[in-house]
Amino acid sequence: MKNFNEKRREFLQVASALGMGAALGGYSIQTNAEGHRVLNARSHLKLASLDPGYMVGGSEITIQWALMPRLANFTFEGGALGWAPSDFVSHLSQPDGTHIDYTLKPGLQWSNGYGELTSDDVKYSFERMLESEWKGDWSALDHVEVKDKYSGTLVLNKAFAPIWALALLSGTGTLVCKKATEEVGGKYTVDVPATCGPYVMDWIPKQKVTLTHNPLWTGPKPYFDKINYISIDAPEVAELAYEAGEVDCTKILAKTHVRWMKSPPPNTKLHVVGALQYMWMGMNVDHPKLKDIRVRQAIQHAVDIDSIIQGAYEGASIRSYGMVCPGLPGQRKDSSVDYNPEKAKALLSEAGVSGLSLVLKTLNVQERILAAQIIQANLGAVGISVKVIPLDSGPFWNMGQESKGDEWKDLQIWLMRFGGSPDPHSMAQWFVKDQVGIWNWERWSDPEYEDLYIKGQLETDPVKRNAIYVRMQEIMENTGAYVWIGHEPEVFAHRSNLAPMIAPSGEEDFSRFTAA
Amino acid sequence: MLAYLIKRLLLGVVIVFAALLTVFCLLHLMPGDPVSIALGTRATPEIQAQYAEKMHLNDPLIIQFLIFAGQALTGDLGRDVFSNRAVSVMVFEQLPYTAILALSSITWAILVGIPLGCLSAIRPNSLLDRILGLISVGTIAIPSFLVSIWALLLFAITLRWLPVIGAGEIGDPLDQAAHLILPSFAVGLGWVGYIARLVRASMLEVMNENYVRAAWAFGLKSNTVIYRYALKVAVLPTITMIGIGFGHLLSGTVFAEIIFARPGIGKLIFDMVMSRNFPVVQGAVMVTAAMYVITTLVADLMVAWLDPRVRESL
Repeated sequence: MKNFNEKRREFLQVASALGMGAALGGYSIQTNAEGHRVLNARSHLKLASLDPGYMVGGSEITIQWALMPRLANFTFEGGALGWAPSDFVSHLSQPDGTHIDYTLKPGLQWSNGYGELTSDDVKYSFERMLESEWKGDWSALDHVEVKDKYSGTLVLNKAFAPIWALALLSGTGTLVCKKATEEVGGKYTVDVPATCGPYVMDWIPKQKVTLTHNPLWTGPKPYFDKINYISIDAPEVAELAYEAGEVDCTKILAKTHVRWMKSPPPNTKLHVVGALQYMWMGMNVDHPKLKDIRVRQAIQHAVDIDSIIQGAYEGASIRSYGMVCPGLPGQRKDSSVDYNPEKAKALLSEAGVSGLSLVLKTLNVQERILAAQIIQANLGAVGISVKVIPLDSGPFWNMGQESKGDEWKDLQIWLMRFGGSPDPHSMAQWFVKDQVGIWNWERWSDPEYEDLYIKGQLETDPVKRNAIYVRMQEIMENTGAYVWIGHEPEVFAHRSNLAPMIAPSGEEDFSRFTAA
Repeated sequence: MLAYLIKRLLLGVVIVFAALLTVFCLLHLMPGDPVSIALGTRATPEIQAQYAEKMHLNDPLIIQFLIFAGQALTGDLGRDVFSNRAVSVMVFEQLPYTAILALSSITWAILVGIPLGCLSAIRPNSLLDRILGLISVGTIAIPSFLVSIWALLLFAITLRWLPVIGAGEIGDPLDQAAHLILPSFAVGLGWVGYIARLVRASMLEVMNENYVRAAWAFGLKSNTVIYRYALKVAVLPTITMIGIGFGHLLSGTVFAEIIFARPGIGKLIFDMVMSRNFPVVQGAVMVTAAMYVITTLVADLMVAWLDPRVRESL
């Protein structure tokens, strides 16, 4: 009777939502002719590998989460990323900095007759990551200690605070079936040899992945019976598809976010899931024209960031004061560098520099070209002439790398945007001394930064971690090599009667999508 | 006829080879290191080296080309460097979607374009001819991506008559047909005007031929003269053009495929060029070049079949 009542209530919820949607002229999530709840979601689906060790990321992680087991789920409450035990474990805890204990739920079956999910699978899955393409994220793992069939301990070689965000909560924390994976040679691509999750998949290349209930799954039944994860490459097309009612949930562009905040499509909620990208204008401290720190500081003071945010991003980007993104420990709320053209002129005069001309390189993306033009005008106002050169991604990503030729020697100023995992460590790693000539195109180094970089990994106290990363960004800013610009938010539009669960980096966890 | 066929097929092989060589050179002339573009920031030097080895990027260009050409001759188009899927499987998964889009686009363009061209030619320089001329040139001039966007906004978003994205559910022909309407409209519209102008020009020329004037003099019905005598000959150059056009559409529907999020060979090539996935680009170009050769050959054979003069000259 209880089940009947629950079903009746669910039916009424869905029916009333549909009725409300129709009355408002908008769309709502669907129930098909068989009474199954169907969700149509947009994907930027480029499936190359569903193997956690060799995937590219993005939609591949979304699919892995639907098909495969993992120890922990991300939580994102109060703007802060956290973790909780997943549906695959009965216990998960971190008793100290170097140990993480787990106990798997018994009876969870792999597909294709590969038996139960066991602790041997956990050991195999995580230890193979040390040899994989994503080994950097798992560098802190020493080994996995198997206690019995279902429980064990992850033993780290050092306390490593980012282990959760970088590894266990990301796609690389996905567990694979030891026996099945070994049988296919220890590595696979899109043909997953065995799955063990709430859904099974059917893939039509370049079109969609359809997720339906896994008949072997004994965990909590996900709300949606069927999910069409539809491949739409162009974000503008995805937005049109949303307006036409063909998808219920899609990532939208920042400029659309601004427009839809004022006038959203009917029955729509906008959901900012994170802002893990950070954009800045970099300066090559080794370049003869920029060797004098006063010149770099003058440039820092000459650029009007608010104008860039408004002019190039229509106010949709969050102003940045450092590399650490909103919601993460270490995010700076302010900066000692302000927009002050007079101070910029004074610094240039003090440095004895006049008639300076620079080359500003950027990717040929509309917003960035606009940003470059604003910078060009700003620097022109203090007597620095700037030539803007937009580049295709090929030459752009080579220009600061020593291994790709000599172009780094001529590199002066450029607009750059990186994305990261939801931990400040993933952002800080690109600016250490070892990265000079690789991704540290500004080409500076500082012993204090190197020291803090190590401390940030070991420190688990949130307050102390926050202080470490704030200080690291002060050091960066003090080099004069950075003009911090913005964090472009990751925004999703979805039907009002849908409660999505989306990671800050934009991957959907479909098994945790419910009705609002 | 057989000698002609063999000659054309041999020429086709040369064309495919030339197309491949051109694409190969263009791919390698593109700026930027394919390894960095493909693997992004996370790749370690070790992974980059593995990738370069897999793509034969360390070998001289001529060796890289010969490796591909040698494999292609045995029917092996190689493997996708990321997913390790066979390129031939990837290409032939996408080819039917493009073929059906190209076919439906060119079909409706023929069905509308030929009568329009005939109507214009029957009364040259009349008001109707001028209006049809304006429409024809207009449809040629409007870029197909613009038509795609307008059609999408009007019929899918505003009126909600037609679906926006995808190719429809597999196994549901009605759904697939509904998903084909807007893309084929957008792709075929330009061809309507083109075919109409071509047919008009041919018809005007044929209408002055002695045998047509003789038919009029014998007092045959105008429909018989126009459609049975004049059009049959006037349509021959159009058939050749349609053959070329169809071949062109096999790789030229990329805008419609992107805007309507349809699978297809054009979009596959575009995506793979952007990610510098050379084996897939080379394999897909080889298949489309071969298809192009085949469709133009079929068109030429049709002309020869319809026109005894051409047949005898072979």
